[in-house]
Amino acid sequence: MTALAPTAAPARAAAPPARNRRALLRRRALPYLLLAPALITFGVFKAYPIVASLLLSLTTGSGAATRNAGLSNYRRLLDDPLFWTALGNTAKILVVQVPLMLALALLLAVGINSALVRWRAVWRLGVFMPTVTGLVATGVMFAFLLNTEHGAVNSLLGQLGLPAVDWLGDPFWARMAIVLLLTWHYTGYNAVIYLAGLQGIPRELYEAAMVDGAGPLRRFFSITLPALRPVLLFTVVLSTIGTLQLFDEPYVLTRGGPDNATLTVSMYLYDNGFRYFDFGYASAIAYALTLIVSVLGAIQMRLMGERE
Amino acid sequence: MSHLSRRDLLRYSGAGLVALAAGSALSACSGTGSGGQVAGGDAATGTVTVWSWTTAAEALRGVVPAFEKENPGIKVDVQDVGNPAIWDKITVGMAAGGQGLADVLHIGCDYLPGYLEKFPGGLADLSALGADQYKDKFAQGLWPVVTGKDGKAYALPWEVNAFGFFYRQDMFEKAGIDPNTFETWDDVLAVGDRFKAANPGISLIGINKPATPSPDLDFLQALMQQQGAFYFDLKGDITLSSPAAVHALTVEKRLNDAGLIADTAGDAVWRTMLRDGKIAAGPLAAWAVHYLETKLPDQKGAWRLTRPPAATAGGKRTAIVNSTHLAVSASSPRRVAAWKFVEYALTRPESANSMFKAGGVFPALTAAHSDPMYTAPNAFYGGQPVLKTFVDLLGAGADATNYSGDFARALKLASDAQTKVFLKGADPAAVLQDAAKQLAQQTGRTLR
Repeated sequence: MTALAPTAAPARAAAPPARNRRALLRRRALPYLLLAPALITFGVFKAYPIVASLLLSLTTGSGAATRNAGLSNYRRLLDDPLFWTALGNTAKILVVQVPLMLALALLLAVGINSALVRWRAVWRLGVFMPTVTGLVATGVMFAFLLNTEHGAVNSLLGQLGLPAVDWLGDPFWARMAIVLLLTWHYTGYNAVIYLAGLQGIPRELYEAAMVDGAGPLRRFFSITLPALRPVLLFTVVLSTIGTLQLFDEPYVLTRGGPDNATLTVSMYLYDNGFRYFDFGYASAIAYALTLIVSVLGAIQMRLMGERE
Repeated sequence: MSHLSRRDLLRYSGAGLVALAAGSALSACSGTGSGGQVAGGDAATGTVTVWSWTTAAEALRGVVPAFEKENPGIKVDVQDVGNPAIWDKITVGMAAGGQGLADVLHIGCDYLPGYLEKFPGGLADLSALGADQYKDKFAQGLWPVVTGKDGKAYALPWEVNAFGFFYRQDMFEKAGIDPNTFETWDDVLAVGDRFKAANPGISLIGINKPATPSPDLDFLQALMQQQGAFYFDLKGDITLSSPAAVHALTVEKRLNDAGLIADTAGDAVWRTMLRDGKIAAGPLAAWAVHYLETKLPDQKGAWRLTRPPAATAGGKRTAIVNSTHLAVSASSPRRVAAWKFVEYALTRPESANSMFKAGGVFPALTAAHSDPMYTAPNAFYGGQPVLKTFVDLLGAGADATNYSGDFARALKLASDAQTKVFLKGADPAAVLQDAAKQLAQQTGRTLR
């Protein structure tokens, strides 16, 4: 007992730091533990495919016949007229659709936010409803509406004395049909984001401006728009990325036709992977698209971001 | 997000390059990458799952009870996966080395060679299980489709759709034309104006010109196949711009320029136009026998069938528009049981004909064609024994078609070429040359 005493004393003395260390470790580990489910899910379902497809883009063939191909898929991409057609179509749809949709969404948001409007919840619901509609159902519905012979849209145009439009058979109008479908589907989503942004603008600013004699237009351009800047940036970047990855709408409505007028990069990617079994090439297209999205995103951030 | 300076950009792209380099190093280490193939087994009992679609699946289910009775120990579960969903499912399974595939797969001629070429070892070698004894039992021209480059059979033919010429007897009679006298498409063109004068507002045939929502190339392909040509020759070289191909597209162009081809772009538009009596004929495959009868009951007695005009004077009338097949996955743990079911369903005239009756699947098995139903008069076709026309056409012997592993890509490019001719009046030779060049660039195949 006495022999043990001297050793026991220092042990007792050393105990508090050890417990402290464990506690510290636990405190440090806890956040990671809490993050683990998200990190592991991200790793398995996002990081792994991202890395795997990069590796895949450097191969050719599939299954047991997979071979290294170096950068040949990327070289092939540069010489592939269909890839450039797809990129051009995506760009054409992008420059028309994104500004149109966002302007419309802003208009709707300002309208719904107006003090004069009654039953606001009903309007909000109505505007947001298309967003929750299934894409395939939407595509089928639009195919009916836009049918050249029997569609409701052409019949309406006819009643207004306008000529019938070959919506899905004419290259230009087929692209417009995609623009129409996209705008119908996503305007409400952006309008709701703007609405939230509008409600965050302090009322005093408007009151002060009114005291200073600013009219509604002046108030919109000098208060509303600058205050919405971060929200605007967010929607522009998000919509641009969304449109660059455009797949469902042309897949359901036009299958990329007529004459490849609505073939998008994502559709071409899908065709190469799942129709031509050329997964290496499809991955190379995916990485080319990623590069384009990153560059465009960076440019938009630069142009529209907060000035320091 | 603040300032993205030039230096930052360089730094980012530098990081990208490092990542790329690391990526290529990694892939160099991993060699064949995700090439792990699930090893199957040769069990002769168990539950055999089958993937098929709609009416074919329904028809296949019909032969299951008799098969299970004769083969105790084997149960069959036929699943209707749906078409085109089945292709994505099979592709994903093949890419995963055979994981999750059904034991028996129903595969069309447009996908089979692709699976064989791109996923070697994905389908079971049926020659080893005794398939070669049936080599001559199927309509001529089909065996090469199910044979791999190694000469082994990887599927058995089930459905065959020969090319025929369906027409509205009443409309042609009004113009005083008898389609039975058509030898080539020139004969059709010669009476085009007479037909249109007698039938204002009615087109001879309908084609989905802009290819929305999907390519409409059966007619063009049949015109090529009648000449023994296709997108690829039997060696796999590209023949998309061959004289035969240019001739086929030129026939279409001339028919179009003569105002004989209606545009049926859009879902179900072709069917609507048929129903409304806007289309007088169909260069269609055997499936149309059943289709017209069920979709257009009001036009009973108005339709007839004859041999299709030849693409060239004195040329062949026969073409096989498409065929479908049953294959066994190499990853199946019960390949022998699966093969037994395939053999039972496809090589016995009774099962083949019961499936034809149930699902309109025209059997490739020639022995099935001696059943009396193939010579029976059909009231919808004014009492004409229409099936006999197809049996005779198949009997005349079709040339083998090499769809190749790059059929889907060739189809896309050929469809683009056809669309350009229809919508923009392009020159057939020029657009086919472009298409063939692109096909060569994308596939690395030799251009003939």
